[in-house]
Amino acid sequence: MTSEIRRLHPMSWLFMTATSVKGLIFPVIIVLFASSANPWARYELLSLLVIGPAFVAALLKQGIYNYRFTDEELVIRDGIFTKKERHIPYDRVHNIALVRNPFHRMLGVVSARVETAAGGEPEAVMRVLTLEAVDELRRYTLGKERAGTLAAGAGTASVGANAGEHDIIESNDDGVANSAMTADIAEHSMGAPSSTPSVLLRLPQSELVRLGLISNRGFIVVAAFIGLVSQANWWDQDWEAYYDTLRESAPTWTTWLLEPGSLTMRILLGAGLFLLFVALLRLFSIVWYVVKYYDFTLQRDDEDLHIEFGLFTRVSSLIPVHRIQLLTSSASLLHRWFGRADVDLETAGAMESGSGLGGQLAAAGATGSRQWLAPIIEADRALALIREVMPEIHLDAVEWEPLAPRAARRILRKSVLLLMLPTGAAMALLSLTRIPVSGFHGLWLPAFILPLIYVWVSGWVRNAGYALTDTAVFFRSGWLARKISVVRFNTIQTVWMSESPFDRRHHMASVAVDTAGAGKMGHRIHIPYLDLEVARGISRRLYAEARATEFRW
Amino acid sequence: MEEVEDPQEVEPVQPVEPVERADPVVPVEPVEPMERVEPIESVELIEQAGQSVSIIDGREHRVDPRSVTLDRVVGLGSILASAVVPFVGFTIGWGLGGIPARVYFSLLAGGVVLFVLSLVIGYKWPELHHRHLRYRVDESGVRIRRGVLWRTVISIPTSRVQHTDVSQGPVQRSYGLATLTVHTAGTEGASISLSGLEHGVAKRLRDHLLPDHEPDDV
Repeated sequence: MTSEIRRLHPMSWLFMTATSVKGLIFPVIIVLFASSANPWARYELLSLLVIGPAFVAALLKQGIYNYRFTDEELVIRDGIFTKKERHIPYDRVHNIALVRNPFHRMLGVVSARVETAAGGEPEAVMRVLTLEAVDELRRYTLGKERAGTLAAGAGTASVGANAGEHDIIESNDDGVANSAMTADIAEHSMGAPSSTPSVLLRLPQSELVRLGLISNRGFIVVAAFIGLVSQANWWDQDWEAYYDTLRESAPTWTTWLLEPGSLTMRILLGAGLFLLFVALLRLFSIVWYVVKYYDFTLQRDDEDLHIEFGLFTRVSSLIPVHRIQLLTSSASLLHRWFGRADVDLETAGAMESGSGLGGQLAAAGATGSRQWLAPIIEADRALALIREVMPEIHLDAVEWEPLAPRAARRILRKSVLLLMLPTGAAMALLSLTRIPVSGFHGLWLPAFILPLIYVWVSGWVRNAGYALTDTAVFFRSGWLARKISVVRFNTIQTVWMSESPFDRRHHMASVAVDTAGAGKMGHRIHIPYLDLEVARGISRRLYAEARATEFRW
Repeated sequence: MEEVEDPQEVEPVQPVEPVERADPVVPVEPVEPMERVEPIESVELIEQAGQSVSIIDGREHRVDPRSVTLDRVVGLGSILASAVVPFVGFTIGWGLGGIPARVYFSLLAGGVVLFVLSLVIGYKWPELHHRHLRYRVDESGVRIRRGVLWRTVISIPTSRVQHTDVSQGPVQRSYGLATLTVHTAGTEGASISLSGLEHGVAKRLRDHLLPDHEPDDV
């Protein structure tokens, strides 16, 4: 049974125009600032140039865009010049992510994004739909295979929004109605009753303050500030005049501070300013985290994890547990001083960048498809959380195996060589010049650094290790900042065993597993410095386990 | 370098469990004589030469030896091409008086040394590459072993194969060779290619790896 042809909301053109213009706002502003002479005359011209075509395109697109539901597929017709008809089978849809900012709310509409397992662009972006239309969309696409609850996968991990845009982002999460939009849609829904989710983690403000202290996000604010200042040419001001005014108007007891005088005073002043800067950075960082992760809640609803956070930007995403590819818990030195750790995860699916709805959603997320499971958590609860989320990995049965016994010596030798070669070369170069350097001077640096290297290497090797349980492979590494990652066998794609020329000399090898949606930067299962025989055993075992399991998207 | 030359370094990894030796599948299409698929140096192959054996046998195979010639042709060609441009440029510059003779000839001498060195490497490398490139296919998956200095063994379970491609460039086509690319849902190993396969072999491998046994529900 095919439904009637549906169209977008009559006001869609407004949002489409706004979206295409949004990307051009900054260039326009910069042009305006750059051309200081009588900018207003050009402003109108420019805005016409920008908005005009976008407006026409939006109108055309609204006229053309339509969709219908067949028994098996969602069929979308689109395209101004090239006609496109897109068939999206319902069972390939992982998630319908929704975005709503204050303008959306005023008109009672939402932007919807249909996500499938395919990476890259979302399958379809529907801008904008009424709440009823969204409910219908979700009933058709997600209702099929998941009877009972409509809750289905949130395909992306990086569901988020630009903090500045005050969007509200929702995933399909009928089970959890603690945000305005979900409740709104639930009202229009004739959907199934929702089950009661259990709260795994809820961060109070104090934790967010700690998070701000631990992480160094203050630089984001500083960078934004510098960007703003450099655009507005604020540096080109008469700073000396400010200084003079300040000195004249300041109360008498401060004159010793402002008087260009003693060196001690200047040093004190410099140090004070530096401390102030550091304190401000931390303060910014705290504010950033409190705003961004305000009321962070992690809930488990059957097989789905539901994460929601944000003060202005309410972000909400839903991750089916089986779609987690890799789970990492890390603790930096600062984390450990506070007795905290964090947990993040990687999922397969849309990894996006760029403009548009996808870009907006991705912008708030971490790199790639990595996402917090817990931005901050008590160190001992981190493992409990992992245990709760993935009971099947048998965290308690983990027995850590060390790296090859000769690993420490090898790394040590490598580091010493790496240190000595440049030092030696520098010494040789210096001896050619007239700078009087005796051979002993060259020993100062190594004498200072060598013990540090020794401490670092032995600490690193002591803390590194791997473990294999019945269902998963674990790897931990790092000394000051420690990380533990786990990958379940059924999410292993390929197994890599590598030998570098140095590995071969020491009869060693490394083993790595590849997973879907693996970020470039994150901690991975990549176990280095293994005895060759051990490495072979591990890769054989991992391969056998991977092939014995079935990968589910 | 002498480490590299030593083929004993790469002893084959033993199979995970007793190899379920693929029952001698009679290939559907007429099979090329095996010595085409395998270099003569492969001992296992000599035993089997003349028989029509499935390539899905859980044994290590080398790619077609003609790939060495092909790689040499391509490599030497690109070395020549990249040498000609600066040579002509500098010679014109010298001829027009823009570059002093001293500079020109010292550049030329350096260039010739570099050129000869690249020729030697360009001739030798494909052979080394071929010696260290092996693949093994059985019912459970593919294993590719590659790399001369940095050696890697990539194991791909059949169940993780999303799809496979066989591609042939123009030069490959004239040699009857092809590249097999296996796509997985992974990231680093999203597409893993094996070049230098005889075209028929590549197609047979592709057909074997087609994920037809999996419900295509993704």
